[in-house]
Amino acid sequence: MNYREPLPDGCPPQEADDITAERMVFRLVRTTPVTSQDFQSQRAEKPDRQFPGISECRARGLSVFADRHDAREKALKLPRFRGYLVCRVALQPGAGHIQQTFQPSHHTWWPPADFEILEHCEVETQ
Amino acid sequence: MKTIRHTQTLFYYDGPQVFEAEDVIGGHYVAVMVEPHDDQDCYLVTGVSPESLREFRSGLMDLRSLMAEHGETEWYLSIGSCETDKPLQLEPQSSTLIESGLLPEPGFVLHDRPAIEEALKEARGRNNLVLEISVDPPEAAYEHRVRVSTLVGLLERVQTLVKHAYGAALRELSLGSRRAIDRSDAHLLDVIIPAAPGSFRVFLEAAKAPDMLGDSELIRALERVDALFVDAHDPQAVLATVKAHRGHLAGAYLRLLRFLVENKTGLRYSWAGPNFSKAKNNAVTESETGPLVEVLSGISNLGSESVELIGALEKADVVNGAWRLSTTDGVYSGKIKDGGPSLDGLKIGSTYRFSCLEEIDEIAGTGREQRTLYLVEREPV
Repeated sequence: MNYREPLPDGCPPQEADDITAERMVFRLVRTTPVTSQDFQSQRAEKPDRQFPGISECRARGLSVFADRHDAREKALKLPRFRGYLVCRVALQPGAGHIQQTFQPSHHTWWPPADFEILEHCEVETQ
Repeated sequence: MKTIRHTQTLFYYDGPQVFEAEDVIGGHYVAVMVEPHDDQDCYLVTGVSPESLREFRSGLMDLRSLMAEHGETEWYLSIGSCETDKPLQLEPQSSTLIESGLLPEPGFVLHDRPAIEEALKEARGRNNLVLEISVDPPEAAYEHRVRVSTLVGLLERVQTLVKHAYGAALRELSLGSRRAIDRSDAHLLDVIIPAAPGSFRVFLEAAKAPDMLGDSELIRALERVDALFVDAHDPQAVLATVKAHRGHLAGAYLRLLRFLVENKTGLRYSWAGPNFSKAKNNAVTESETGPLVEVLSGISNLGSESVELIGALEKADVVNGAWRLSTTDGVYSGKIKDGGPSLDGLKIGSTYRFSCLEEIDEIAGTGREQRTLYLVEREPV
């Protein structure tokens, strides 16, 4: 599978799930309509930064929540995300790999190069 | 200048957003990411007491209250990326934290600690099912310790819950499937790591080895347990699940929740088999336990199960309402239910069908169970 950005060997890890059935995840975005900037990995945003304690594989994935509650009632309350919006992303079969990482609802998603993220993202009003 | 080191990420999203840290003399701090400063990560940092930190982790206190509690007099900004192996420099701030506009909004509460995949690692290493349980009672706030009574009571109640979950799962199998399974002691757990570092954590593994495919009988039980904890934040959803699992499993679940309330702790657990790709994690926070106990305590006969016995009557004490029946499975004794049928007129030695309710009470302070059969209907056979 070709991913949106080059991934190191062994990435996504074996433990990650191949997305074979539709599922919803939630990502914080800055604006509506959303732009590709809202779906940049940490590595894409900060090409020269070291992320100690975070593997290069995870740094090249996208943070998403499996539970809307965690996006709305937790992340949006943090000062870093003041004014952000919640986007519901419909992951279709073939949308790459996903793995639960860190807190239970948090997942790291590695989308493939040909997955049109913006077309599958719907900003929630409430 | 004062420095701190990252000790644990509490909330992650495109980087550590909220984390715990310690200074060189072991003082506790909490940091939350704010707007970047000159393209560098910037964190708001305040000192916190161990007890307040425990309350935050347990879902009893929100992040804003935690930071405002100590930040009123002293708070800091730290500019630079959060690196686990390097100290972060703290710049003391002179303005009022509340008026800085940097505090998180009210209501940011941790539901759970970060999931750690150690259960999976242990399961693979031991080639057996492993269950990790973790509690955060008040005595664990200051150091790695737990009361003996809390630990013993917890293990007893978790084992009991698993036992009844296994029993409930088996009852849904066909008779043929049940006969094909070696059920002796399949519900038992052994403690393998009694006090893992971190919060107070205990690792247990299935007492019996898994089958050749790596599957343990305990998977049936723990999947049942998961169903009871998955919606712990929603008492009405739990109520619906518990009603569907009425009987000894529901009773054991309620007794565990009451124990957590009495000991002022939540419970987090994680389990995995050797061939799992990831561990299964669930939790109930201390703040969630009270409402769950309140809702579940309102259901009558929640923990009772119907039992039907056929056998020869050996004893019928009409005055005290006590009876004994000899069946092909063994000898059972019990009492009559208030308002239920009397034992008057029954003949010793005759065969009867007794329809009973089996109730389990906890022997105070031990976590052990005491079963009582209450006769609700009888007929001669």
